[in-house]
Amino acid sequence: MTETLPAPTAAPAAGNGLAAEHLRIRTDKWIGKRTKRVEDPRFLTGNARYVADLVRPRMLHAVYVRSPHPHARIVSVDTSVLPGLGTSVWVFTGKDLADVPPLIDHVALDHLLRTPQNVIAVDKVRFVGDAVAVVVAADRYAAEDAAEELGAAVEYEVLPPIPNVTAANAPGAALLFEDLGTNEIYRQTERHGDSDAAFAAADHVFEIAFHHNRYGAAPMETRGVLADYERHDKQLTVWSSTQMPHFLRSIIAGQLGLPEHRVRVIAPEVGGGFGQKMCTSPEEIVIPFIAVALGRPVKWIEDRHEHLLAATQAKEEHITLEVAVTNEGKLLAVRGEFVGDGGGYSFNTESALIEPALAAKSFPGPYRLDAYDETVAASLTNKSPVAAYRGVGWTAANTVREIVVDEIARGLGIDPVEIRHRNMLHADELPYRSITEQLYDSGSYHESLDLAIETVDYAAFRARQAELREQGRYLGLGISSYVEQTAWGSDSSAQAGTPLPSHDNSTVTVDPSGTVTVAVSTSCHGQGHETAYAQIAADGLGVGIGDVKVIYGDTESAPYGLGTYASRSAVIGGATVARAAADVREQILKVAANMLEANPEDLTIDDSVISVTGAPGVSKTMAEVAYAAYWDSEVRSDEPLLTATRFYDPPATYANGCVVVLCEVDAGTGSVTLDRIVAIEDCGTVINPMIVEAQVHGAITQGVGGALFEQFVYGDDGQPQTTTYMDYLVPTSTDIPPIEVLSLCSPSPFSIGGIKGMGEGGQIAAPAAVANAVADALAPFGAKVRELPLAPDYVLRLIGAIGADES
Amino acid sequence: MMSTHPKHPIGLTVNGETHDVLVEPRRTLADVLREEVGLTGTKLGCEHGVCGACTVLLDGSAVRACLVFAVQAEGAEIATVEGLAEEGTLDHVQQAFTDNHGLQCGFCTAGMVMTTHAMLAENPDPTDDEIRVGLNGNLCRCTGYTNIVRSVSAAAASAKAAQPGARAS
Repeated sequence: MTETLPAPTAAPAAGNGLAAEHLRIRTDKWIGKRTKRVEDPRFLTGNARYVADLVRPRMLHAVYVRSPHPHARIVSVDTSVLPGLGTSVWVFTGKDLADVPPLIDHVALDHLLRTPQNVIAVDKVRFVGDAVAVVVAADRYAAEDAAEELGAAVEYEVLPPIPNVTAANAPGAALLFEDLGTNEIYRQTERHGDSDAAFAAADHVFEIAFHHNRYGAAPMETRGVLADYERHDKQLTVWSSTQMPHFLRSIIAGQLGLPEHRVRVIAPEVGGGFGQKMCTSPEEIVIPFIAVALGRPVKWIEDRHEHLLAATQAKEEHITLEVAVTNEGKLLAVRGEFVGDGGGYSFNTESALIEPALAAKSFPGPYRLDAYDETVAASLTNKSPVAAYRGVGWTAANTVREIVVDEIARGLGIDPVEIRHRNMLHADELPYRSITEQLYDSGSYHESLDLAIETVDYAAFRARQAELREQGRYLGLGISSYVEQTAWGSDSSAQAGTPLPSHDNSTVTVDPSGTVTVAVSTSCHGQGHETAYAQIAADGLGVGIGDVKVIYGDTESAPYGLGTYASRSAVIGGATVARAAADVREQILKVAANMLEANPEDLTIDDSVISVTGAPGVSKTMAEVAYAAYWDSEVRSDEPLLTATRFYDPPATYANGCVVVLCEVDAGTGSVTLDRIVAIEDCGTVINPMIVEAQVHGAITQGVGGALFEQFVYGDDGQPQTTTYMDYLVPTSTDIPPIEVLSLCSPSPFSIGGIKGMGEGGQIAAPAAVANAVADALAPFGAKVRELPLAPDYVLRLIGAIGADES
Repeated sequence: MMSTHPKHPIGLTVNGETHDVLVEPRRTLADVLREEVGLTGTKLGCEHGVCGACTVLLDGSAVRACLVFAVQAEGAEIATVEGLAEEGTLDHVQQAFTDNHGLQCGFCTAGMVMTTHAMLAENPDPTDDEIRVGLNGNLCRCTGYTNIVRSVSAAAASAKAAQPGARAS
């Protein structure tokens, strides 16, 4: 039996060490291969069913009435304006759902104030889009008509809006939650090392005050829920566009007071999530409640306008840094303040700390620091709540860190490549516990930077940049190195600064005909799990992937687990599938050994044929062995079902890489054109390189969106101004150049199979790469990027062509 | 509630089949295709004509089915993603998308595939830049477009190779 870990694919990071024997998995034929996705045909032919595509007999359609005010008291909702109330139209207000417990975060941190969120507002609305009522009718168009009428019949007492953190903390500010006595729900400082001594010894101190923009996941499929309650069975079935079906089942059961075994949650096809669909949406409680109340199926499909108003938003932070450095550009210490603008509620699951806490803990990235003071704070504002979106916290931290590193280099006359090399951890220093207690398992920080720089031909670029600058053209190159925390389980969440428990399983079963069913607790929404897990199971059992079917997303057929978010599925799902497959392999080999009168240790499996090593003629097919294992009492075991379920709560793993962006800035119009993007990705053992590269493409594009286009804009009156795709600008095919992805491989010494998570690094790194490219291009103007996106008006301000008033 | 929007009988031809439906004039082609005709492959991503997920062909031209009323489509030949594959075999555009990993979550895919058909009908041999311009009315949030551009290019190449007289390469 040969069991090997994949060899590093290029420029291996030295000293990472291979995984210990007990962590090894079989990678005989399929793992590492560019296997085409087995799930594609149903998506390409229009046969994939998302929640909006599902229909139930007697189904009703729900439409929300949402607050037009950022901050107001609900005085009355006059439902009498609706003809047919109770016969063809039904209305549910916060009062109707007053017995449903409010949603609340689960983060185990002292000093964090809680902001219970009623699933429909009862007395007060706290952002434009906060839910006031739900109207239900047999037809969506009729429900929209009724919702419009009812919306005009809600009386509000308007309260002063709190549009931003500064307003939230001004003396005498209106309070979103009066009982808390403050809008600031958290502020704590942690000190690591002796920053006073480090600052006293510094040659220079650099400062930056940065506003990271509020942008969001905006998946192509909006949110949606369909719920059906069978009164006689007392059985609730909920189809939701969720990343966490089992977790949602537990939450729905608790919120609605139903026994958990009578609640079934199904995530049908999910059209993108990017973290937004991991938190529990209030709508995921309300729609099931209405289905139970009416005894009829009820469907709610969010429209895009509603999504841009009411779905969670992300990434807004105010970050201020002081950085102590030597003349040689060595980073000594940082004092950082990370302030989250949390929106109207500190949202369930991970609270308003999801941005600032994760930013603060991840801030050091690939660099050594002797001392670090981190202040983390979050305030409530009258905007849509902030929750998870790909690269939570890590994006803002990476953005501000990589920008300030470039500014230090420019200030001290050091090349931006060189200053990174002077401060980066070397591969042979890993495993390494960062100053914020994050345990980096392995990595290729220098190697990633070098490979990216070689690929773009750095020297040639600098020559061309100088030449074109003479002609009044402004080319720039931006570097962004990153470390990406992955494998979100108990350990990873604790290292991130927001401790949460974790639980996941996979079940591998060989059927009586020798085919394989793999049921996983992670929940796919575009990442190709049906293919990647099939590759792992195929190697584990010695079969082809055509013999493997992967199922997930239905709590009645998949084992309990937390679903897919925070780059956890490859590590957790991959390990649980590999382990369960290894167990089933042993069961098969025992039966085959009985049939072949051999020792199990002397058997091999290859292409579904089990044979005696060295005597390939002495063999049985997987189908023959599986049949015997089920039916032949002469050879089957005491527990004949060929199945195993395995659990994994992984150690944190840290992927890494480097993104380099080449751009040109038009100094006349302020527009930024991206000419080239090169990404180096190191996520340890790769299951399917095709899928990994495509994850990088997508993540980088989202990061470019945040850097150049995307921002949820709110006026000083608290009114959202970006509520359609004409105002909220998602990158298009002409905004993005071809993205080149190159891979390095530093297997994790800690995780099963050496697998690390990935998929967020592009989003984490791209904004700084773009910002640094623009700042590099505009170096003749002394441009310092202090906010995103780099929209034309802001670029013209950086150039000095227009003043602040003109943008 | 009584409807103030009386319904009209119309006939729609979708993927060569005729459907008689009774619809309010305000009802969009996208909603009628998805609900009355039962073809849910056409997706709704924004319902205001920006994202392109609902792209179908109306007499061969790419249109946004969320911006067309069903009553306007009476008498036209409508093509949706469901009509492309024959007897379980993907057509050349669909095949190129899976060969080049041109889809992830799949929600924009029908619109991308239908737009590709319209684009290649007009320009069978587009450059990568022309492909990007041709696709920029279709949003994708997963792929970063890199593999979609490759897919369209591969579809064009395979259509060219399949033409009578084309030399095998």
